[in-house]
Amino acid sequence: MFLIDCPYCKESRDQNEFSPAGEAFIARPQNPEELSDDEWADYVFYRTNHKGDHWEQWVHTNGCRKYFLVKRSTISHEILEVAAFGEVTSENKS
Amino acid sequence: MRLRNHNNDHIDQSESLSFIFNNRSYKGYKGDTLASALIANDVLFFARSFKYGRKRGLMGSGVEEPNALVSLEIGGRYTPNLKATEVMLYDGLSAVSSSNPNSIDFRAIIKPLHRFMPAGFYYKTFIKQKVWALVEDSLRSLSGFSKAPTEKDEDVYDHIFHHAEVLIVGGGVAGITAALEVLNNSKTTRVVLVDERAHLGGELFNEFKSDDSAISWHRGSINKLLEFKNEANSRLKLLSRSTAYAWYDHNYIEVLQTNATGESLFAGSTQGARKVLHKIRAKEVILATGAHERPMLFETNDLANTMLSQSVRRYLNEFGVISGKNVILYGNNDSIYSTAIDIKSNEINCKVIDVRASGNESEIVLKAIKSGIEVLQGYAVLKAHGTNLVKGIEISKVEMQGKKWMLIGSSKRLNCDLLASSGGFNPVVHLDCHCGAKTFFDDDSQAFLPQKERKNRQVCGSVSAIGFWKDAVIDAKNKAQLTLVSLGEVKKAQQGVMSENYLDYFNASQFFMPIEILNRPKVFIDMQNDVTTLDVALAIREGYRSIEHIKRYTAMGFGTDQGKTGNINGIAVAAEFLDVPLSEVGTTTFRPAYTGVDFGAMAGREVGGFFDPQRYTAIHDSHIDSGAEFEVVGQWYRPWYYPKSGEDMHQAVNRECLAVRTSLGMMDASTLGKIDVQGGDAREFLSRVYTNAWMKLAPGSCRYGLMCNEKGMIIDDGVSTCINDNHFIMTTTTGGAASVYTTLEMWLQTEWDDLDVHLSSVTDQFATVAVVGPNARNLMKVLCQDVDFERDNFKFMQWRPGTVCGVDARIMRISFSGELAYEINVEANYGRYIWDEVALAGKQWNITPYGTESMHVLRAEKGYIIVGQDTDGSMTPMDVNMNWILAKDKPFSYIGRRSFSISALNSKDRFQLVGLLTKDEGVVLPEGSHIINNNRSSIGYITSSYYSPILGRSIAMAQLKGGLSKMSETVLVKIVQEKQGLKEIPCEVSSSVFYDIQGEKVDGND
Repeated sequence: MFLIDCPYCKESRDQNEFSPAGEAFIARPQNPEELSDDEWADYVFYRTNHKGDHWEQWVHTNGCRKYFLVKRSTISHEILEVAAFGEVTSENKS
Repeated sequence: MRLRNHNNDHIDQSESLSFIFNNRSYKGYKGDTLASALIANDVLFFARSFKYGRKRGLMGSGVEEPNALVSLEIGGRYTPNLKATEVMLYDGLSAVSSSNPNSIDFRAIIKPLHRFMPAGFYYKTFIKQKVWALVEDSLRSLSGFSKAPTEKDEDVYDHIFHHAEVLIVGGGVAGITAALEVLNNSKTTRVVLVDERAHLGGELFNEFKSDDSAISWHRGSINKLLEFKNEANSRLKLLSRSTAYAWYDHNYIEVLQTNATGESLFAGSTQGARKVLHKIRAKEVILATGAHERPMLFETNDLANTMLSQSVRRYLNEFGVISGKNVILYGNNDSIYSTAIDIKSNEINCKVIDVRASGNESEIVLKAIKSGIEVLQGYAVLKAHGTNLVKGIEISKVEMQGKKWMLIGSSKRLNCDLLASSGGFNPVVHLDCHCGAKTFFDDDSQAFLPQKERKNRQVCGSVSAIGFWKDAVIDAKNKAQLTLVSLGEVKKAQQGVMSENYLDYFNASQFFMPIEILNRPKVFIDMQNDVTTLDVALAIREGYRSIEHIKRYTAMGFGTDQGKTGNINGIAVAAEFLDVPLSEVGTTTFRPAYTGVDFGAMAGREVGGFFDPQRYTAIHDSHIDSGAEFEVVGQWYRPWYYPKSGEDMHQAVNRECLAVRTSLGMMDASTLGKIDVQGGDAREFLSRVYTNAWMKLAPGSCRYGLMCNEKGMIIDDGVSTCINDNHFIMTTTTGGAASVYTTLEMWLQTEWDDLDVHLSSVTDQFATVAVVGPNARNLMKVLCQDVDFERDNFKFMQWRPGTVCGVDARIMRISFSGELAYEINVEANYGRYIWDEVALAGKQWNITPYGTESMHVLRAEKGYIIVGQDTDGSMTPMDVNMNWILAKDKPFSYIGRRSFSISALNSKDRFQLVGLLTKDEGVVLPEGSHIINNNRSSIGYITSSYYSPILGRSIAMAQLKGGLSKMSETVLVKIVQEKQGLKEIPCEVSSSVFYDIQGEKVDGND
């Protein structure tokens, strides 16, 4: 049961207020129709399943209903960073 | 027996309690556990073992107890598989052995065959031979656990949340010291101290009872703790009789507290909760969980009155009871000597057998010898004699040769009626490992110790192999100082220096595993699961090497005690047979829960009406007045059908359906999810999330939409209404409202933040009354004068604002039945009023309220799908024959579109939605039945099936492999009929539209 700092509510809240929403920085392709089946499948299905520090999306379902970014260790489950969308991007992420 | 004039802090001899065990009456005292009271009454057999049905007595005195399993009370207060050592006595208590040791037992009768029933016996004999199904019930009924409860639990359970800076687990010397150190050195730190026993102090009072300095330290410390506890705005919470059974991520720990005395709640009082589940979130955790003693191994070491040394001493010192008069203590460390001294001081005979050779005796050994206790050094117990009860032992001289223990010379016999052993101590590392921390084998202490460094956690006392109480005090202070530094309360941690360990509990206690003893029969490692050393040897012979595999092959360490006494011995036995060091074998994985947790405690108050939120529409009371039966749909209580007196469901549904088809029906449609979509890009947004076109939908019109995910699978459907170019109201399925809303927000927030769109959930803000049937237009003309209802002026899939019975309303002409229909949407507070007015005005057309069952029949007659019933998350729009709803020329590649061209989704062999008509029109196929091919394997299944009153026959919808190209073919559906068994029903594959195929009814008759 994680304790998550919601970057919008600015409060540390129990995990049962939140829902996970998958790996972060997977952008929807601009031109889906031009992609090969493999490229499209990569966007829809394939995830890195990274062992270690991992950026992911969470949503404060039973709170402000905002989606935000969480950097979490998938080994220790320690939450290393939270950010609003835009604050951290796939280019400037740590 | 209970010793006379035995003074102790734990028993109140002025208060006598009566109780019943295995149908016999006994007396005990306040402060007794069920186990100690039974020892006082000379009860020696507590239960039978799980597999062999061997009669067993007590072994331990707390959570580690493997044998003495009982069930408590009957009926709504029945609790199975409690350890007698954990049950506090109360007046009127009634307990029964999990498996009665005094009755005839089949497992005990076949005792000569036990040697042919090693680990793996049941699997090899029954499961592998595929006869398990025939024997399972009778074999399970033989096993040694209590029966599962059959009645509803009468008791109340609570959940309490705590937030603390420091949580201390364990209220022994180390835990008490750590709590005081934190409280003394900070003004603000909040502390929760959790202890599983009724009295704080752990083993101190037991182990050092004759040490006056220990006892006065104990009294003084408890008093200081109580001062902190009784302060105004106290920073200290003391939870006794509370077990921390699970440690989850981010220092979230769950603790189960049992009513402190047990006396009031079980015995009829209904005040307060029987158990409380404490949910604790702490910044820092200090583990002072102590250590469990493990037994020595020898042949028939499971006879009754073969106990742990520390437990014998605890029963003696805390409860004043002992179960023998001629005691032998056997072990490999100093712990047995303090037990011996305490027994001797009560003028009871005792001898000590120590596997260690003479020389280098510690202070306490010398003290025991000096007090006249007979001590045999360099001897091992080979076997316990006696039938069921220990009567004597066989011993032999032992010697360490190289690195192996060897037996020397011939054996001799000694008599005793109580045998207590200590094979060393296992630090209680369980909780620490729940979140992935590792143990390591420490050569100095010969124990598996908690991982050294861990964030926001300290360990102190005997869990880190510190045996002497004064050292534990210093260690706990040191660790509390480190905790204070971590909290920022103290700048520099003060660190005391420990004395030389003066008791040899850990450091020299070798694992005593001579191979000659391990190779004997009936050397039990795990008492509860009847696992012997030979079972471990067999597992290794069968090729298992990992301790995790050996555990699963032998069942060692499963069960209600989770191997607290047996596991580490089992690991040592495996190491011996594998001839590798213990550290190489390692431990099995420690997972929650450390001790059993009642389901009632997990549920807390969230039972009955509080199990799940119940949602009612604004019209609910009217449905109750009408005698509706309800069904739960996504937390909503929706009218299912409205039976008139004497009607069953079938008759009511037939009447309701025919009323809709022939005259007029009304339905409460308020539960449909409603999302208010506003903003300059609302139209573009709908066009991205639905498969069809939205750009040209004019204000005043509605449109049906199908929503998919990126995988191309249908996730929702519903009608959206264009209020104006910047404002739409989307409806979703009743059950999908929340998840659709969350998904839409995800697209807006994470991908399309450039779109000017705002969403609000308005499901609860509107009440919706659907007026359905050929007379709907006539009724609407009566109800509402400011709207033109003529068919060409208010067309199907349009909406008009209007005033219905004086209330502002949005009237949508949409239909889920194929009939002429209007949905009147009003502000929710007017819902009941409008419903009643509609019912009144509709009387002249015999308006009939109908529920969800009729709604389902009516929509199935028209072949309308229900997302989640006719689809299951793996269905594309093509699979449900809805290609018509896929826009071809939208500029934006809407959600799911790209997936539609993936080859797998265009296979001819996919499950496709078709209609099925049984050849025998009267047979209604059960939903979920499988369609089978000539080889009798499944090629599909029934998703919806009803009797259609208007058609006078059954209809069904089904997912059939390649179904759309099988029109008019005959298939077989396998069903189970009551009393007649399996039957195969021939059916014709058809279109899923069964009624009004041309769609002529939707405009009504006029």
